[in-house]
Order: sequence, then C-alpha cells, then structure tokens
Amino acid sequence: MNIEIERYAQMQSPVHQWAPRSKLVGLGLLVVAYATVQSLWLVPVMVGITALLYLGSRLPLSFLRSRLRYPSLFLLGVVMTLPWLSGTTVLWQWGPLALRQEGLLTVVLVASRFVSILTLGIVLLGSTPFLQLIGALRGLGLPDLLADMTLLAYRYLFDIADQLARLKQAMRLRRFSFLQTQSWQPLAAVTGTLLIRTYEQSERVYKAMQLRGYGSGHALYEQTQTWGTGLDLAGLIGCGAIAATLMALQWG
Amino acid sequence: MHVPDGFLPAPVCIAGYGLTGLTAWYSLKRIRRQADPARHVPKASLLAAAFFVASSIHIPVPPLSVHLVLNGLLGAVLGFYAFPAILIGLFFQAMFIGHGGLSTLGINACIMGFPALAAYGVFRLRNRLPLRNRDAIASFLAGCLGVGLGAALFIGVIVLTLPPTLDAATERAALLGLGLAHLPLMLAEGGFTAVLVAFLQRVKPELVSAGAQPAPVRQPLTADIRGPL
Repeated sequence: MNIEIERYAQMQSPVHQWAPRSKLVGLGLLVVAYATVQSLWLVPVMVGITALLYLGSRLPLSFLRSRLRYPSLFLLGVVMTLPWLSGTTVLWQWGPLALRQEGLLTVVLVASRFVSILTLGIVLLGSTPFLQLIGALRGLGLPDLLADMTLLAYRYLFDIADQLARLKQAMRLRRFSFLQTQSWQPLAAVTGTLLIRTYEQSERVYKAMQLRGYGSGHALYEQTQTWGTGLDLAGLIGCGAIAATLMALQWG
Repeated sequence: MHVPDGFLPAPVCIAGYGLTGLTAWYSLKRIRRQADPARHVPKASLLAAAFFVASSIHIPVPPLSVHLVLNGLLGAVLGFYAFPAILIGLFFQAMFIGHGGLSTLGINACIMGFPALAAYGVFRLRNRLPLRNRDAIASFLAGCLGVGLGAALFIGVIVLTLPPTLDAATERAALLGLGLAHLPLMLAEGGFTAVLVAFLQRVKPELVSAGAQPAPVRQPLTADIRGPL
C-alpha cells in the first residue's frame, strides 16, 4: 500500500509557497464550485482552471497519473455502463446494445468533475506537508481532540502497514495463504495480533505524552499559522471569485 | 460503500458535511464528559489507522474474497470515539489512495459512521442478554449491523441521486443486486468481528473495553444545604 503523499511537499512553486490556510480554503471553495457544475459548457472552464493550478504546483505528471490510477477504476464502472443504460436518444445501435446521448453526456460530466476534484485534492496534499495541513485545519476550527487523533493516526499508519507487511511475510514463509484458509481463526489471530502490538505501543506513547504534559490543556501540535501575506490572500480571494462565478454561471 | 468525488450533487455533499459536523460535535461532547477524555485518544487513533489499513486485508467468502470494513468493530470497541476515528480513516483513504473523496467525505462519514454508533449501542446491550455466549452474539450483531446499515445508507444515497434518465427496471435490478451482494459481506464481517473480539478478550481484554464510557464527571454539591445555623 503506497501511502506516501509528501514526496514533493518540499518543492518550490507558487502553489507550494501559498500559505496553507489560504490554500486550503481557496481550493476547498473550488471543490464546492466544481461539485455544483451541471452544464457541459462549464466543463472546459473547470478542467482549464484545474490544469493551470496543477501546472502552477510543478508537481510531475507521473505523480498525478499514479494518484489517479486506483480511483479511476471506480469511474470505469460508470463509464462502461451509463452510456448504454441511461437516456432515450440513441446515437448508435448494434443489436441489443444502444449508445445513448444522455448517458454519454452524463459520463462526460461525472468524469470531468471526478478528475478535477481529485486533482485539486492532489495539488493540496502534494504541495503541503501533512503537519502544516493539520495546523491549517486547527486554525479553521478543527477541535484539539480531533487534530491530535489525526496526527497520532497518521503516525500509526506507517507502523501498522509495516507490521502487517511483516506478518504477511511470516505467514507466507510458513506457507499460509489468506485466501486459501478454511477457517477465520488464523486470520482473526493475525488481525488481533496486529491490533494488540500497535495497541501496546500506543499505551507507551500515551504514557510518554502524559509525562510531557499532554492532557492538561496542551495539544500535540500548536498551530501558529496565519492567512499568509497579501499575495496569499489574493490567491484565496481569486479562488473565491472563480468559485462564485462558476456557481453564478451554473445557476444563472 | 464509498462514494467517489464528482458523483453527488453539491447540496448532498454539503448536507453530508453538515450531518457529519453535528455528529462529530455530539461525539466529542460525549467524549469530553469522561473523567480523562485524552485517555483513549491513542487507542482511538490506532483503530482509525487500522480502519484505513483494513481495506488491504481480504477474507475469503467463496467464490470471492472481500476486504474488511471494521466499522462495526470500531463501534463496539471505541464507543463514541468511533465516529471521529472513522472520519479520520476516511480522510486518510481519500487522501492517500483516492478511495472515497474529499467532497464526499461528509456523506461517506455518515454512511460508515452512523452504523458504527448503532453497533456500539447493540454491543452495549450484551450485558442484558441472559445467554452464555452473549459477547460473541453481540459482536456478531455489531459486525453485521456495521456493514448492513452502511450498505442500506449507501443504496439510499444512490437512489436519491441517480440520473433521472436511467431506465427504472435497470435501476431496480442494479440496486437489488447491490443489496444482495452485501448480504454475504454482512455475515462475513459479523462472523469475523465475533472471532476477533473473542481473540482480543482472551489476549487483551482492556482493548475491547476501551469503548466503555464511565459515568460522566459530576461536580459535588458545594453549597451547604443546611443553611446558616
């Protein structure tokens, strides 16, 4: 499981330099605006804005491709079925199969929204270190408890993934296959062992945190971010204006 | 049972975030009533990470294999911590592997998180069952409820947001197929949750009791009710 997202977070680009809080709100407004797009003529506008932002982030295209590969499998199901099942205007027919216009247009709309929103997410997460992102969320009102849980869960992700990989390897060395077992007992034992090992580690982590004052009004990460400079705010206002325009054009 | 980005209209996504915000606020309120709210944070964070990693663990349900969901287990073990833990797990899934979505994070949290809280409610009732294997039965029901209710909510969201041009008969057939496909999943998750909880109770019972909510902290009466004598 590839959970590495911060590979390019230390690059230099206008998007990387954008203050995290302004970036989060600005891109968030664009995501909301994209979700409202129902007219096909707005699709090129939406895709164009997304492409510009991606180019501005200077993230490699290979990174975008690798991030889109798995989620695109879900889109594939819709792309393969909707044009044949939805609508009444038949564009082309071969026996019982009829390609319908409404279905095809819906697919174009859904696919472009999907790719655009996903790409904005990749721009945000690929250009912002995770810790700064949580700091930005805290600055926007994320409760301390939730922020602490997120940081600790992020820490445990790598431990659990590593432990799981070692457990699976140990099982393979003993000629045990997850999918060929007749009983769930060994699977439950493996899953339970994974949870127990990480749980015991979490207990030690908690005691260490308590010794450092955690739980007495101190959060794990004190955010000191602001909205950034005038340029950062200009970026935020620009995104807000684009989002408002898109929504006005859609509903107008 | 995750809805990807771009599939739902904006009002549904916003409503999902609204419901998630309210439920998270209520869950945190219940958590803060505990004597030491930070006590279970490391355990809840661990299980949030496990919820994320669970999608890579497949169990055989012949002729296929299915991946674990674990929202029932989280509900049974974590109680009110389950909803924030699932929200975080879904955030990681959307962020790291593009499973689910950022615009649909709210609605996905409702689909997975509400059943977790329902599973907690069912698991809590086990002490009232006058049966020998009440822990196993309660865990089985919690696991089933996690997946079953989640599937029902997912199908509900799909029904409300399908394109109107879709043929009604095809729509009904697809939804029926989707519902039936989740039945073996539900039983598998229930069975696996029961076996897993039994293992944890034998080896590390305090891990299962993490969801137990001690009585809220009540301030003692400080006023002298006798009045001046």
